[in-house]
Amino acid sequence: MADEAAIHNLLKELRDILQDDFILTEETQLRPFECDGLSAYRQLPKLAVLPEDEQQVQAIIRLSHKYAVPIVTRGAGTGLSAGALPHPEGLLLVLSRMSKILEINPAAMTARVQPGVRNLAISEATGRYGLFYAPDPSSQIACSIGGNIAENAGGVHCLKYGLTVHNILQIKGFSVEGEPVTLGCGGMDNAGFNLMPLIIGSEGMLMVVTEITVRLLPIPEHVEVMLAAFDAIDTAGQAVSNIISAGVIPAGLEMMDNNAIRAAEDFAEAGYPRDAAAILLIEIDGAKSSCEEQLQKISNILNTSGCTSLKIARDDKERALFWKGRKSAFPAVGRISPDYYCMDGTIPRKSLAEVLNTISTLSEEYGFPVANVFHAGDGNLHPLILYDANIPGQLERVEEMGARVLEKCIAVGGTITGEHGVGVEKIRQMPLQFTDAELTLFHKVKAALDPQNILNPGKNIPLLKHCQEYRALSQNRVPENLISNLTPAS
Amino acid sequence: MQDSTHILQEQITDAARENAALFILGGSSKSFYGNPVLGETVTTTIHNGIVEYEPSELTVTVRGGTSLAELTRELSSHGQMLACEPPGFSDDATIGGAIAAGLSGPARPYRSSIADIVLGCRIITGEGQILEYGGKVMKNVAGYDISRLMTGSLGCLGLILEITLRVIPAPERELTFSFSVESLESAVFVNELRKKGLPVSAASSIDGTLYVRFSGGADEISGLEKTLLKSFGFVEQNVQADNTLWVEIKNHSHAFFNLESESHKNLWRLSVAPGKNVSAFYPNDSARLTEWGGAILWFKSAAEPEIIHRMASQSDAQATLFRSCVNESMRRFAPVSPALQQWYTSLKSAFDPQGIFNPGRFHDWL
Ligand SMILES: Cc1cc2nc3c(=O)[nH]c(=O)nc-3n(C[C@H](O)[C@H](O)[C@H](O)COP(=O)(O)OP(=O)(O)OC[C@H]3O[C@@H](n4cnc5c(N)ncnc54)[C@H](O)[C@@H]3O)c2cc1C
Repeated sequence: MADEAAIHNLLKELRDILQDDFILTEETQLRPFECDGLSAYRQLPKLAVLPEDEQQVQAIIRLSHKYAVPIVTRGAGTGLSAGALPHPEGLLLVLSRMSKILEINPAAMTARVQPGVRNLAISEATGRYGLFYAPDPSSQIACSIGGNIAENAGGVHCLKYGLTVHNILQIKGFSVEGEPVTLGCGGMDNAGFNLMPLIIGSEGMLMVVTEITVRLLPIPEHVEVMLAAFDAIDTAGQAVSNIISAGVIPAGLEMMDNNAIRAAEDFAEAGYPRDAAAILLIEIDGAKSSCEEQLQKISNILNTSGCTSLKIARDDKERALFWKGRKSAFPAVGRISPDYYCMDGTIPRKSLAEVLNTISTLSEEYGFPVANVFHAGDGNLHPLILYDANIPGQLERVEEMGARVLEKCIAVGGTITGEHGVGVEKIRQMPLQFTDAELTLFHKVKAALDPQNILNPGKNIPLLKHCQEYRALSQNRVPENLISNLTPAS
Repeated sequence: MQDSTHILQEQITDAARENAALFILGGSSKSFYGNPVLGETVTTTIHNGIVEYEPSELTVTVRGGTSLAELTRELSSHGQMLACEPPGFSDDATIGGAIAAGLSGPARPYRSSIADIVLGCRIITGEGQILEYGGKVMKNVAGYDISRLMTGSLGCLGLILEITLRVIPAPERELTFSFSVESLESAVFVNELRKKGLPVSAASSIDGTLYVRFSGGADEISGLEKTLLKSFGFVEQNVQADNTLWVEIKNHSHAFFNLESESHKNLWRLSVAPGKNVSAFYPNDSARLTEWGGAILWFKSAAEPEIIHRMASQSDAQATLFRSCVNESMRRFAPVSPALQQWYTSLKSAFDPQGIFNPGRFHDWL
């Protein structure tokens, strides 16, 4: 790894390319970059650089490669798995200044943008053409499209419109050697190895992305949002399955439990029923006639699925309000607890009730309250575990409890992360989801594109020598009786 | 329904030991696509059957050698379908072959691509290892997305043993209308339809006529004529309620794709931004067909492959020599940049270190 001399030489050469203002080396300058949205992990890099164009990015990568200095790319730093956590010996490549929308092509329904463009800024700019960019993470005011690419970000409308990976047509950027790479073309699909999905979700470990062409969709003519309350969480879960089984795919189908409802209501005054055990937020969109057809169908299903009250947003204002509650759920929970730990497991929808029961058992066992927010239509759970990091030992116990939630997700056939990524945070659970042979292929893929392990080293894929230890740990921790409880009923 | 995992694994392990090339073959429906491969044939059709289908979860797990027709039938008996309507080209096509070819049908721009519907897979690598990636859930970002990397890999990275796909509810009703709109304007016209909230699910231009399919709820589709009249001031000339046209286009049984009278020409597929002027690709007003609202152009040409590839890259497009008039190796696929070539070869060695799977299918160096 890089030594002091390498950093010294790198800095010297960097100063020929970048203005001094955009090369940060002082502790006070670097402090704001020490963590991403998961602030439990902090680390100062050796230096941070803020390029403004592709040429500068290319030159920075070439130099880092030459001196074998690790590169961690950073977008807006809203990630929730410490993916953008700086490397102690490395350079932090901050792309927030590359925030231009380069081209909007209404005929092809595409926009070409730089990586530092904020997610929401794309829809804001394309709105005047009647178009929008569909994936809408709750962090969309702040997070960058480059970060969305690296994490394959999802959002509340992904049930119908797909994740980031479904909405990207072309990616340009640089390999670790600083060679320009273009994936995709002006069209939709290409022949050849399908490298775009390999890069999307690769957490900045395979290349640095500097330009993205996104697919845009027409802004729906008509939208309806329904707010359905339930007096038991299982009933709400079953209602979700009933809707999907009936052949209806809403644009969004979200669920919140009582703790999350109350926190969101205190924060956003969205009009949620504070005493409900669970609510569903259901959005449908399309032509007016089609919305009416779907609205009718879904209302009927809800009424026969034990819904205790059903509100349909009267106008745009109320619709926005219903969503505001959901989209501000994380910060809302942040207000009622000193800290919260956000999980991201995904499970088959049919296992919803079972997994929720496990979560509430664990919550009692560990003594940490949990607020549940889910992308219910996709089976993507976000249990928020409430704790206080200032009380010694709590973070460790929360992480342990979180690990057990993820183990449960895997046990029912799900995954440890649906959209937030592995980063540093979930690396210990990777060996539970993958065998050594599968992890080995991941390492080979990494080595194929980045043989010297320069891009975001140490994240995402655990070293095999640690895997046995992680697996053993998880087995030892869970007492026998609980293992049998955790096994899905056959 | 037959599980032949071990037979396939053994065949691959043996070949790896002897360093012998293998030609992975499904139903042989797309043998014309890509360069001919010399090697011992591995037949995937012996490994077939639907392993798990949960209509309420919108997922199906199926063995690679399962016939695409059988899978489609099974889904349709539950009112469901594969969103991208992959082409089969013949009744023998397998789902594994469809994934490996990476080709999507008429609904691609309006629903999803074939890569989009892949949730997980189980593969055999060139070293005979059986590995599993992705899963049965809609969202999954643990590790690299190996499953979607398999789509379009033409069997060069691994043998697809099993694949989990997302399915969607089939529309209640579909109708196809034709419009006399010039192909250059068709992209904008189709966008206008979509902006009115009309459920466009396919759009293809054939010699100056634009065909648009709408799919949706029964009432929604019944009301279409009125909506079109109200929004655009005209009624369609021709309406088709069945799907024949789209099946013919995707499977190349449409008359346009008949090359018999032009046996010296190759059939090309150009992937391009809709609305781009591509008339240079089909000189003298010869026949052409566009799909996906203009994102795909099909044309026939006797020009040297190198020339077409160069023209394509100048238009930020990608050309593929789809069907050649001769069965020999040539530049069917667009050349890749030196950096990408390096990625291709190093990824190939990660999955298949001895290069036993389908050597030369894409490029002579792969
Ligand atoms: C309140 C809140 C709500 C959230 N809600 C959601 C949600 O609904 N859905 C969801 O999916 N996520 C959500 N997130 C997580 C986060 O916003 C996303 O992961 C987002 O995509 C990260 O973008 P970023 O620009 O902040 O990336 P960063 O955090 O800066 O970086 C994330 C990763 O991307 C890499 N990276 C960044 N830019 C590039 C580039 N140009 N090239 C290569 N690699 C790059 C980094 O190295 C790092 O590994 C939420 C976060 C918060 C704080």
